Amino acid sequence: MSDVLARAEPIPTAPWVGRDVTIRLAPPAARFSLRARKAADVQDALGREVTGKIGTTINGIACLGPEEWLWRAPEGTATPANARIAITDIGHRHVGLIVEGPRAVSVLSAGCPLDLATFEVGRATRTVFETVEIIIEREAPDRFHVEVWRSLSVWLWMVLTTTAGD
Amino acid sequence: MILIHCPYCDEKRPEIEFVYGGEAHIARPADPATMNDAAWERYLFIRNNPRGRHHERWRHSHGCGRFFNAVRDTVTDRFETTYKAGEPRR
Repeated sequence: MSDVLARAEPIPTAPWVGRDVTIRLAPPAARFSLRARKAADVQDALGREVTGKIGTTINGIACLGPEEWLWRAPEGTATPANARIAITDIGHRHVGLIVEGPRAVSVLSAGCPLDLATFEVGRATRTVFETVEIIIEREAPDRFHVEVWRSLSVWLWMVLTTTAGD
Repeated sequence: MILIHCPYCDEKRPEIEFVYGGEAHIARPADPATMNDAAWERYLFIRNNPRGRHHERWRHSHGCGRFFNAVRDTVTDRFETTYKAGEPRR
Protein backbone atom coordinates (compact mmCIF):
# COMPACT_ATOMS: atom_id res chain seq x y z
CA MET A 1 0.00 0.00 0.00
CA SER A 2 1.33 3.36 -0.95
CA ASP A 3 1.08 6.25 1.44
CA VAL A 4 1.93 8.93 -1.07
CA LEU A 5 0.15 9.46 -4.35
CA ALA A 6 2.63 10.70 -6.91
CA ARG A 7 1.28 13.10 -9.48
CA ALA A 8 1.74 11.64 -12.97
CA GLU A 9 1.60 14.07 -15.87
CA PRO A 10 0.53 12.82 -19.29
CA ILE A 11 3.15 14.89 -21.10
CA PRO A 12 6.77 15.84 -20.37
CA THR A 13 7.24 18.28 -17.50
CA ALA A 14 10.40 19.72 -19.03
CA PRO A 15 9.77 22.66 -21.40
CA TRP A 16 10.21 22.11 -25.10
CA VAL A 17 12.43 24.89 -26.36
CA GLY A 18 12.57 25.61 -30.06
CA ARG A 19 13.40 28.49 -32.33
CA ASP A 20 11.54 31.57 -30.98
CA VAL A 21 8.96 29.44 -29.16
CA THR A 22 8.73 27.52 -25.90
CA ILE A 23 6.00 25.00 -25.11
CA ARG A 24 5.56 23.83 -21.55
CA LEU A 25 3.13 22.23 -19.17
CA ALA A 26 1.37 24.82 -17.01
CA PRO A 27 1.72 24.39 -13.24
CA PRO A 28 -1.06 22.36 -11.61
CA ALA A 29 -4.17 24.44 -10.95
CA ALA A 30 -7.70 24.09 -9.67
CA ARG A 31 -10.41 24.50 -12.28
CA PHE A 32 -14.10 25.01 -11.81
CA SER A 33 -16.95 25.04 -14.27
CA LEU A 34 -19.43 27.70 -13.17
CA ARG A 35 -23.01 27.82 -14.42
CA ALA A 36 -25.39 30.62 -13.52
CA ARG A 37 -28.02 32.79 -15.15
CA LYS A 38 -26.14 36.05 -14.70
CA ALA A 39 -22.56 37.19 -14.23
CA ALA A 40 -23.75 39.07 -11.14
CA ASP A 41 -24.70 35.77 -9.48
CA VAL A 42 -21.19 34.39 -10.05
CA GLN A 43 -19.76 37.64 -8.77
CA ASP A 44 -21.82 37.36 -5.57
CA ALA A 45 -20.86 33.72 -5.09
CA LEU A 46 -17.11 34.22 -5.49
CA GLY A 47 -16.80 37.76 -4.21
CA ARG A 48 -14.70 38.89 -7.16
CA GLU A 49 -15.32 40.72 -10.40
CA VAL A 50 -16.63 38.46 -13.17
CA THR A 51 -17.08 39.35 -16.82
CA GLY A 52 -20.38 38.80 -18.59
CA LYS A 53 -18.90 39.31 -22.04
CA ILE A 54 -18.51 36.01 -23.86
CA GLY A 55 -14.97 35.31 -24.97
CA THR A 56 -13.20 37.46 -22.40
CA THR A 57 -11.54 36.81 -19.08
CA ILE A 58 -11.12 38.77 -15.84
CA ASN A 59 -9.51 37.53 -12.60
CA GLY A 60 -8.79 34.13 -14.13
CA ILE A 61 -12.50 33.60 -14.85
CA ALA A 62 -13.31 33.20 -18.53
CA CYS A 63 -16.82 33.63 -19.86
CA LEU A 64 -17.09 30.76 -22.37
CA GLY A 65 -20.73 31.10 -23.35
CA PRO A 66 -24.13 32.21 -22.12
CA GLU A 67 -24.39 31.14 -18.48
CA GLU A 68 -20.99 29.38 -18.53
CA TRP A 69 -17.66 30.35 -16.98
CA LEU A 70 -14.33 28.61 -16.42
CA TRP A 71 -12.39 29.59 -13.32
CA ARG A 72 -8.72 28.73 -13.18
CA ALA A 73 -7.72 29.09 -9.53
CA PRO A 74 -4.51 28.38 -7.62
CA GLU A 75 -3.85 24.71 -6.87
CA GLY A 76 -5.57 23.63 -3.68
CA THR A 77 -8.47 26.11 -3.86
CA ALA A 78 -11.47 24.49 -2.19
CA THR A 79 -14.75 24.29 -4.07
CA PRO A 80 -16.80 27.29 -2.89
CA ALA A 81 -20.13 26.32 -1.39
CA ASN A 82 -22.97 28.23 -2.96
CA ALA A 83 -26.53 27.24 -3.65
CA ARG A 84 -27.28 29.92 -6.23
CA ILE A 85 -24.82 28.85 -8.89
CA ALA A 86 -23.65 25.44 -10.06
CA ILE A 87 -19.96 24.82 -9.36
CA THR A 88 -18.22 21.69 -10.63
CA ASP A 89 -14.60 20.82 -9.94
CA ILE A 90 -13.05 19.88 -13.30
CA GLY A 91 -9.45 20.26 -12.15
CA HIS A 92 -8.46 16.73 -13.10
CA ARG A 93 -10.09 16.87 -16.51
CA HIS A 94 -7.79 19.47 -18.06
CA VAL A 95 -4.13 20.18 -18.28
CA GLY A 96 -2.75 23.52 -19.38
CA LEU A 97 -0.08 24.12 -22.00
CA ILE A 98 1.74 27.42 -22.31
CA VAL A 99 2.93 28.42 -25.76
CA GLU A 100 5.24 31.38 -25.53
CA GLY A 101 7.53 33.31 -27.81
CA PRO A 102 7.50 35.41 -30.98
CA ARG A 103 6.37 32.36 -33.00
CA ALA A 104 3.50 31.42 -30.65
CA VAL A 105 0.82 32.76 -33.03
CA SER A 106 2.33 31.01 -36.00
CA VAL A 107 2.67 27.65 -34.20
CA LEU A 108 -0.91 27.72 -32.87
CA SER A 109 -2.27 28.84 -36.23
CA ALA A 110 -1.10 25.54 -37.68
CA GLY A 111 -4.18 23.88 -36.21
CA CYS A 112 -6.42 26.59 -34.78
CA PRO A 113 -8.82 28.21 -37.28
CA LEU A 114 -9.21 31.47 -35.32
CA ASP A 115 -7.40 34.58 -36.49
CA LEU A 116 -4.97 34.56 -33.58
CA ALA A 117 -3.00 37.55 -34.84
CA THR A 118 -6.02 39.75 -34.03
CA PHE A 119 -7.05 37.78 -30.92
CA GLU A 120 -6.58 40.39 -28.21
CA VAL A 121 -4.78 39.93 -24.92
CA GLY A 122 -7.36 39.05 -22.27
CA ARG A 123 -9.56 37.11 -24.64
CA ALA A 124 -10.40 33.47 -23.95
CA THR A 125 -12.60 31.10 -25.87
CA ARG A 126 -13.34 27.49 -26.58
CA THR A 127 -12.29 26.45 -30.06
CA VAL A 128 -10.55 23.57 -31.82
CA PHE A 129 -6.99 22.64 -32.68
CA GLU A 130 -7.21 20.27 -35.64
CA THR A 131 -9.74 17.79 -34.25
CA VAL A 132 -9.20 18.45 -30.56
CA GLU A 133 -11.30 20.84 -28.50
CA ILE A 134 -9.25 23.42 -26.63
CA ILE A 135 -9.81 26.55 -24.59
CA ILE A 136 -7.36 29.22 -25.61
CA GLU A 137 -6.48 32.35 -23.70
CA ARG A 138 -4.10 35.08 -24.76
CA GLU A 139 -2.28 36.11 -21.61
CA ALA A 140 0.27 38.38 -23.28
CA PRO A 141 1.10 39.38 -26.86
CA ASP A 142 3.46 36.42 -27.15
CA ARG A 143 1.98 34.04 -24.57
CA PHE A 144 -1.04 31.76 -24.95
CA HIS A 145 -2.49 29.42 -22.36
CA VAL A 146 -4.15 26.36 -23.88
CA GLU A 147 -6.47 24.17 -21.80
CA VAL A 148 -7.03 20.69 -23.16
CA TRP A 149 -8.56 17.49 -21.91
CA ARG A 150 -5.91 15.43 -20.18
CA SER A 151 -6.21 12.38 -22.42
CA LEU A 152 -5.91 14.54 -25.55
CA SER A 153 -2.90 16.47 -24.30
CA VAL A 154 -0.46 13.75 -25.43
CA TRP A 155 -1.53 14.24 -29.01
CA LEU A 156 -1.62 18.03 -28.74
CA TRP A 157 1.87 18.10 -27.26
CA MET A 158 3.14 15.93 -30.11
CA VAL A 159 1.56 18.13 -32.79
CA LEU A 160 2.63 21.45 -31.24
CA THR A 161 6.23 20.39 -30.73
CA THR A 162 6.41 18.86 -34.21
CA THR A 163 4.97 22.02 -35.77
CA ALA A 164 7.28 24.25 -33.77
CA GLY A 165 10.25 22.15 -34.84
CA ASP A 166 9.50 22.60 -38.54
CA MET B 1 -13.36 28.39 -44.94
CA ILE B 2 -16.88 29.65 -44.28
CA LEU B 3 -17.24 32.10 -41.40
CA ILE B 4 -20.51 31.93 -39.46
CA HIS B 5 -21.70 34.75 -37.22
CA CYS B 6 -22.60 33.33 -33.80
CA PRO B 7 -25.35 35.51 -32.30
CA TYR B 8 -24.24 34.64 -28.76
CA CYS B 9 -20.49 35.22 -29.18
CA ASP B 10 -21.37 38.11 -31.50
CA GLU B 11 -18.55 37.48 -33.92
CA LYS B 12 -17.74 35.51 -37.04
CA ARG B 13 -16.23 32.15 -36.28
CA PRO B 14 -14.83 29.36 -38.47
CA GLU B 15 -17.32 26.80 -39.71
CA ILE B 16 -15.34 23.91 -38.17
CA GLU B 17 -16.49 25.06 -34.71
CA PHE B 18 -20.15 24.53 -35.65
CA VAL B 19 -22.46 21.57 -36.08
CA TYR B 20 -25.47 21.61 -38.39
CA GLY B 21 -28.78 20.93 -36.67
CA GLY B 22 -31.37 20.46 -39.41
CA GLU B 23 -34.33 22.61 -40.38
CA ALA B 24 -35.39 25.25 -37.86
CA HIS B 25 -38.78 26.25 -36.46
CA ILE B 26 -40.22 22.75 -36.31
CA ALA B 27 -42.32 22.66 -33.17
CA ARG B 28 -42.80 19.37 -31.41
CA PRO B 29 -46.50 18.51 -31.38
CA ALA B 30 -48.06 19.21 -28.00
CA ASP B 31 -49.87 15.89 -27.78
CA PRO B 32 -48.27 13.17 -29.96
CA ALA B 33 -50.65 10.49 -28.64
CA THR B 34 -53.55 12.04 -30.54
CA MET B 35 -51.73 12.10 -33.91
CA ASN B 36 -52.11 9.52 -36.64
CA ASP B 37 -49.10 7.87 -38.27
CA ALA B 38 -49.12 10.13 -41.33
CA ALA B 39 -49.01 13.31 -39.25
CA TRP B 40 -46.31 11.87 -37.00
CA GLU B 41 -44.28 10.88 -40.05
CA ARG B 42 -44.58 14.44 -41.36
CA TYR B 43 -43.28 15.80 -38.08
CA LEU B 44 -40.40 13.34 -37.82
CA PHE B 45 -39.12 13.03 -41.36
CA ILE B 46 -40.66 15.38 -43.89
CA ARG B 47 -38.66 18.57 -44.45
CA ASN B 48 -38.99 21.46 -46.87
CA ASN B 49 -35.58 21.03 -48.51
CA PRO B 50 -35.91 24.31 -50.42
CA ARG B 51 -33.70 25.49 -53.23
CA GLY B 52 -32.59 28.88 -51.97
CA ARG B 53 -33.45 30.45 -48.64
CA HIS B 54 -33.37 27.86 -45.86
CA HIS B 55 -34.06 28.34 -42.15
CA GLU B 56 -31.86 25.98 -40.22
CA ARG B 57 -30.42 25.29 -36.79
CA TRP B 58 -26.73 25.36 -36.02
CA ARG B 59 -24.86 24.71 -32.81
CA HIS B 60 -21.64 26.47 -31.85
CA SER B 61 -20.46 23.23 -30.27
CA HIS B 62 -16.74 24.07 -30.07
CA GLY B 63 -17.45 27.59 -28.85
CA CYS B 64 -20.23 28.83 -26.61
CA GLY B 65 -22.17 25.58 -27.02
CA ARG B 66 -25.47 27.22 -27.97
CA PHE B 67 -28.02 26.34 -30.63
CA PHE B 68 -29.14 29.23 -32.82
CA ASN B 69 -31.00 29.71 -36.08
CA ALA B 70 -29.63 30.78 -39.43
CA VAL B 71 -30.93 31.66 -42.87
CA ARG B 72 -28.67 30.17 -45.51
CA ASP B 73 -29.02 30.05 -49.25
CA THR B 74 -28.72 26.41 -50.27
CA VAL B 75 -27.56 27.36 -53.77
CA THR B 76 -24.78 29.80 -52.94
CA ASP B 77 -24.09 28.50 -49.39
CA ARG B 78 -24.13 32.12 -48.19
CA PHE B 79 -25.44 32.90 -44.72
CA GLU B 80 -27.99 35.71 -44.92
CA THR B 81 -28.40 36.12 -41.19
CA THR B 82 -28.20 34.29 -37.87
CA TYR B 83 -30.30 34.90 -34.77
CA LYS B 84 -30.76 33.50 -31.29
CA ALA B 85 -32.94 30.48 -30.61
CA GLY B 86 -36.44 31.50 -29.59
CA GLU B 87 -36.49 34.63 -31.72
CA PRO B 88 -39.14 34.87 -34.47
CA ARG B 89 -38.48 33.53 -37.94
CA ARG B 90 -36.70 35.99 -40.25
